[in-house]
Amino acid sequence: MILLTLRDLVFRRTRFIVVSLLGAVVFALLFVMTGLVEQFNLEPVDSVDAIGVEAWVLPESAKGPFTSAPTMPTSTVDAVDAAQASPVVTSRSSLVEEPGTRGEEVIVIGHVIDGLGSPDVSDGRAAAAPGELTADESMGLELGQVVTLGDESFTVVGFTKDTTLLAGIPLVFMPVEEAQQIVFRTTDVISAVLVDGDVGELPPGFKLMTSEEVADDVLEPLEGAIASVDLVRVLLWIVAAIIIGAVVYLSALERQRDFAVLKAIGASDRSLLASLAIQAVLVALVAVGVAAVIQLFLAPAFPLRVRVPARAFWQLPLLAVVMSLIAGAVGMRKVMRADPSQAFAGAA
Amino acid sequence: MTVGPLIVDHLVVEFVHDGYAIRPLDGLSFEAKAGELVVLLGPSGCGKTTLLSCLGGILTPTSGTIEVGATDVTALKGKDLDRYRREEIGFVFQAFNLIPSLTARENVAVPLTLTGTSRADAFARADDLLEQVGLAERGGHLPSKLSGGQMQRVAVARGLGHDPKLLLADEPTANLDHIQAEAIIRLLQGLRDDGRMIVVSTHDARLVPIADRIVQMVPPHGEPEDPMKKVSYPAGESIFEQGDASDLVYVIDSGEVDVIRVLADGSEEHLNRLGAGDYFGELGPFLGFPRSASVRAHTDVELTAYSARLFRERVLHGD
Repeated sequence: MILLTLRDLVFRRTRFIVVSLLGAVVFALLFVMTGLVEQFNLEPVDSVDAIGVEAWVLPESAKGPFTSAPTMPTSTVDAVDAAQASPVVTSRSSLVEEPGTRGEEVIVIGHVIDGLGSPDVSDGRAAAAPGELTADESMGLELGQVVTLGDESFTVVGFTKDTTLLAGIPLVFMPVEEAQQIVFRTTDVISAVLVDGDVGELPPGFKLMTSEEVADDVLEPLEGAIASVDLVRVLLWIVAAIIIGAVVYLSALERQRDFAVLKAIGASDRSLLASLAIQAVLVALVAVGVAAVIQLFLAPAFPLRVRVPARAFWQLPLLAVVMSLIAGAVGMRKVMRADPSQAFAGAA
Repeated sequence: MTVGPLIVDHLVVEFVHDGYAIRPLDGLSFEAKAGELVVLLGPSGCGKTTLLSCLGGILTPTSGTIEVGATDVTALKGKDLDRYRREEIGFVFQAFNLIPSLTARENVAVPLTLTGTSRADAFARADDLLEQVGLAERGGHLPSKLSGGQMQRVAVARGLGHDPKLLLADEPTANLDHIQAEAIIRLLQGLRDDGRMIVVSTHDARLVPIADRIVQMVPPHGEPEDPMKKVSYPAGESIFEQGDASDLVYVIDSGEVDVIRVLADGSEEHLNRLGAGDYFGELGPFLGFPRSASVRAHTDVELTAYSARLFRERVLHGD
């Protein structure tokens, strides 16, 4: 039966190539959508990890350090009973590369030089003096480049990797005093306290959020976007199922006489069904294989980082095989219904 | 090659179509011996293909029996029926019905692989058979690259793949010119001479001279002994019944008749009432079809019954 299946694929190759390419485009979009969802989910974890602390002390009324605008006196740092505690400033701001041009939205992290919150750099070094900053490499800045944040000028001295939040807003690290000036115009106010090690009882009116809780909190505003992408993924699966189901159905329809002849000469329903099922699976697998290549070219065109997880490269083909068998079921019913007496029917 | 006799006994096949029952085969019986070429002769729609389907175990008859040697084909079911079709019977379908995506060689080999023959043996056998039918050079061609006669020879080779005892061929010379048809007829003769039983359905009279046995699917359509006669029926009596053989055309001299179609569930549908001067039952004798409806006397009727020829001359053309 495998001979029959392969020969039929070759015989109707134009159709199968067109359908495989169509399916490949759909599967490539599925890869990209999967990569986007993966990016949404991992982005806060990576960024909060880059800040590198165990927990954050925040005012009880604050939702989170990145989803609200918490403030507290700088002196709160001294009131926190922890093995290590450092002030931090978190705020949305605008970074201007060239004077007179439109700024790019960034999240400013003001940290103690070489203290808690100082990020690991992928290139250059961490900001270590006033007027220096470290930026996420996705911004495309260059080492030594001078940029403006608020009214202050900064020199880019290093880059961090995978430090974006809220669907691609890059983090910019700088000394905490500079951040206080830009955000609060005073060094008396900070956003939160970063803590590591054992933490004792907090002063009244404050709460502790672990880094995991902070990451979960940052993900919340994106839940609608993630749900939308998931819905698009479901729709793409339906489109892929329709494409593969349609080609299998057409094939079954056109081959009904062949199936009748084969049944008449003793072929079992099972072997004929297997022939059609193999076709559906082959189309799905070829489409997924081509899609895995297409997504390499498609992903860079997206404004957000597309992080296709390794598991997608076996899950997607597996799901595609299952889907193709379900989608092909309508065509396979045609095989079951093929009446062997049709083999005796008149001219084909 | 030895095969027991083929015995077809009171075979009835009834279909329900648009609510009424039709019987392409109605009590057909005949016998044939090994090494005979049996020709089923008759016009389109007379039940030739239906009979081949029954002989091949593709269609289960409504009643009657078919025996091929010791095998009661009509009693076979499921896997036994599949095995009978795979191993005992060779089919040559009308219009060739080759699988378009397979080469001639593959078309012959595929049925063999279905019977469990290894691929290498199946292709070796296919090569032998294609040589037998004179197509050794064309084995690698797709059906679309073969002529009608070549496709039919491939179809015959496919039918012979597993060396069947009984070869069933449906209209094997249809759509072929006389040169191609002659090649097929010669091929069938050769196969018959090997001791194989061959049943061929056809309306091609060129096959008649080589037949060992002819089964007329429709009774010979001769002129009735009395081409014109006066007949009378009392009210309620049947003049003819649906499914009867058609012979005469009736003109009503007096009285009325009802034209009735008998439905599959046994109920009756009243189609028409005819009176003096009307005629009925003309299409069956003209076309060689059985009666498509029953006619009964509504009142006492006097009729003139004509042969089809005389009715055409005297009533339709007014000679």
